[in-house]
Amino acid sequence: MAPTAPTQRPTMRHSSAFLLPSTAPSSPAPGPDDAAVALVVLNQPLPRFAPLLWSRAAVRVCADGGANRVFDGMPALLPGQDPDEVRASYKPDVIKGDMDSVRPEVKEHYSNLGTRIVDESHDQDTTDLHKCIAFIAENYSATNKSNLSILVLGALGGRFDHEMGNINVLHLFPSINIVLLSDDCLIFLLSKMHTHEIHVEKSIEGPHCGLIPIGMPSTSTTTTGLRWNLDNTSMSFGGLISTSNIVEEDKVTVTSDSDLMWTTSLRK
Amino acid sequence: MLWRAVRSMDVIMHSSSFLLPKLYQPVNKPVKNYALVVLNQHLPRFMPRLWDHANLKICADGGANHIFDEMYQITNDEDKKSTRNKYVPEIIEGDMDSIRPEVKLFYSSQGSKISDKSHNQETTDLHKCISRIHHCTPDDEKPNLCVLVTGALGGRFDHEAANINVLYLFSDMRIVLLSDDCLIRLLPRTHRHELYIESSVEGPHCGLFPVGAPSTSTTTTGLKWNLSESKMRFGSMISTSNIVQSEKVTVESDADLLWTISLRNLT
Repeated sequence: MAPTAPTQRPTMRHSSAFLLPSTAPSSPAPGPDDAAVALVVLNQPLPRFAPLLWSRAAVRVCADGGANRVFDGMPALLPGQDPDEVRASYKPDVIKGDMDSVRPEVKEHYSNLGTRIVDESHDQDTTDLHKCIAFIAENYSATNKSNLSILVLGALGGRFDHEMGNINVLHLFPSINIVLLSDDCLIFLLSKMHTHEIHVEKSIEGPHCGLIPIGMPSTSTTTTGLRWNLDNTSMSFGGLISTSNIVEEDKVTVTSDSDLMWTTSLRK
Repeated sequence: MLWRAVRSMDVIMHSSSFLLPKLYQPVNKPVKNYALVVLNQHLPRFMPRLWDHANLKICADGGANHIFDEMYQITNDEDKKSTRNKYVPEIIEGDMDSIRPEVKLFYSSQGSKISDKSHNQETTDLHKCISRIHHCTPDDEKPNLCVLVTGALGGRFDHEAANINVLYLFSDMRIVLLSDDCLIRLLPRTHRHELYIESSVEGPHCGLFPVGAPSTSTTTTGLKWNLSESKMRFGSMISTSNIVQSEKVTVESDADLLWTISLRNLT
């Protein structure tokens, strides 16, 4: 049976403009026309661009020990600023999770500044990231969800079962634009329900990229804008997957019969 | 009483005894033949232990830089030069675009074979190394050979995915990807698996993932949350943050699964 013809699927647009350096003299607040950005910080060392993303975000959520990372790591990333001032101004809106990692003094510091502490220790069935994504989706439903991007720091590397659990969260919330970021790369899900246009910010991402069929083989994927484009190509673990590909155009398109993970490297 | 035809399936036994100091090998068990492949990322802090176990050491391109720079720091030896002379790989393999010229010269002068594969841009450095080992190992010796790989996880996600795919492409070999935090192995669906847990060095956190394709039936023993003919699929249930509760974990599945277990703080 032929899959849905690509032209019948709605197009989803993706952009990493949130990673572009700010040209404004002070941290900009997102304007009404801007895509809304939410930031989730998990319990791993912050990537070097954490302060930039923090300034872009309309809401910032720390998952449990992610609060330790902000408390310890933000001053280190902003060496020209007074650590106490950094700890006061880089204040999460919410600390959420089972609270077994956040240090008591860190929790108290942010709580005194007005951070909302949401203790989920009774719920051991879902991961910290799952809880944070569900929370943002529920509490910020006023925002047009198609305009919402949730950026996640600390989801990759470390314990592999955590990384897999975090990738599974992307599959569990396919209609929300969630981007996992590390110092080396970013990844997001390309749902099979859409044709995808990925606008690549070449000043900050690439040239390396990849398309990876996690969880299910793809019998047909077609791309444009890559050095080695796929043309109705099959991909699977145990067979071909697209890695060490190169972004050639500013716009990459992807259509597939299966959910794929898209990844680009980030320039140092 | 319902009788069910029991499908007879070969068993693969897995053990992480390579993480134990070499002196403390389990007695009355066959001694495995280990090969070590070092990829181009920071070395895990237990690298000397892996090096001691391995009969064959291959650096994939820039992996040689890390051995050259970091072994001395890890072992805390006083004499940098004698440490460098001690940790010399048999082979350096890959497209040679990352290894520093002075590092290549040093190991070449110490007897390492330099295998320049720069003409082959189709496969990753890990693929080249595993392919070489696969080619050089007779079939009847493959079950007794375990290839330990460092530097395959973390970093660029497409590299990590390609490295995981090497486990699938060479599923007749026992390959273990290691980081400071965890190890991963492929458990092919063609076999039942018995994982002997070395609780002094690994655990308690573990997981099972149907990365390639979903599983309609997976059964385990030895875990806190065992699976019983359970379905697993990305977008639905996968087994993360599970806990090892026995010295032996068994896994049987209709899908290839990735097994992971956390590593304790090994020095």
